[in-house]
Amino acid sequence: MMHKALVACRAGVGSSLMLKIKINEVVKEHQLPLQVEHASLDGVAGFDGDLLITLVDVAEELKGKGIKQHIIGITNIVDKQEIYEKLTAFLNK
Amino acid sequence: MLSSIIKKELIQLNVSADNWEDAIRKSTHPLVAHGKVTEEYVNKIIEIAQNTGPYIVITKHVALPHAPSEFGVKETAIGITTLKIPVNFGNKENDPVKYLFCLSAKDSTGHLEAMSQLVSLLGKKDFFELLDNSGSPNEIIKYIVNLDQ
Repeated sequence: MMHKALVACRAGVGSSLMLKIKINEVVKEHQLPLQVEHASLDGVAGFDGDLLITLVDVAEELKGKGIKQHIIGITNIVDKQEIYEKLTAFLNK
Repeated sequence: MLSSIIKKELIQLNVSADNWEDAIRKSTHPLVAHGKVTEEYVNKIIEIAQNTGPYIVITKHVALPHAPSEFGVKETAIGITTLKIPVNFGNKENDPVKYLFCLSAKDSTGHLEAMSQLVSLLGKKDFFELLDNSGSPNEIIKYIVNLDQ
């Protein structure tokens, strides 16, 4: 099954974009069934996919907000191993 | 291309900063001075960080100060600032911050190629060695221009 992920950050022009680039590299390398978009946090409300990916401090904040999607928080956006492990943990659920 | 938005005059090396807020303000100076962003943009970055935490610390020792485009971005640009003494931003995993890449983006996709180069740059050890050891913005620019080849 193809999953749909939204990469969000507070501004939608910096960290989320870089994180999306890195996630797409990981998705391609490992051929993960994941389609990735990016937006600012304003985009979260209208998002219809099943996964939200963001930086770890933003993830903590979102977790308290009753969001229906699964949330992944990334600590180090250039660490492909971290990204890969967290994505596969979600995909294998 | 990264080389078209990072310019020599936007690079400052071995800057002294008292704390994270001072570090962010100083990292934005060249962008303000060269008309890339307004003071409003600087204040917005600080405001978001105060309200919501160190969301701009993205990898070990690296911060990417930025805010949404509508708060005073005039031109897309990236400035590079290195600190003489690293400062804590309150990000457990990635503190202390020594390198600040201050970003201003006119929209959310126009700088995609540059951001892609920046991501790969942040994974390069020799680039950080150069930032640590070089006293010359010219050398940094040369390195970045070489990425295009």
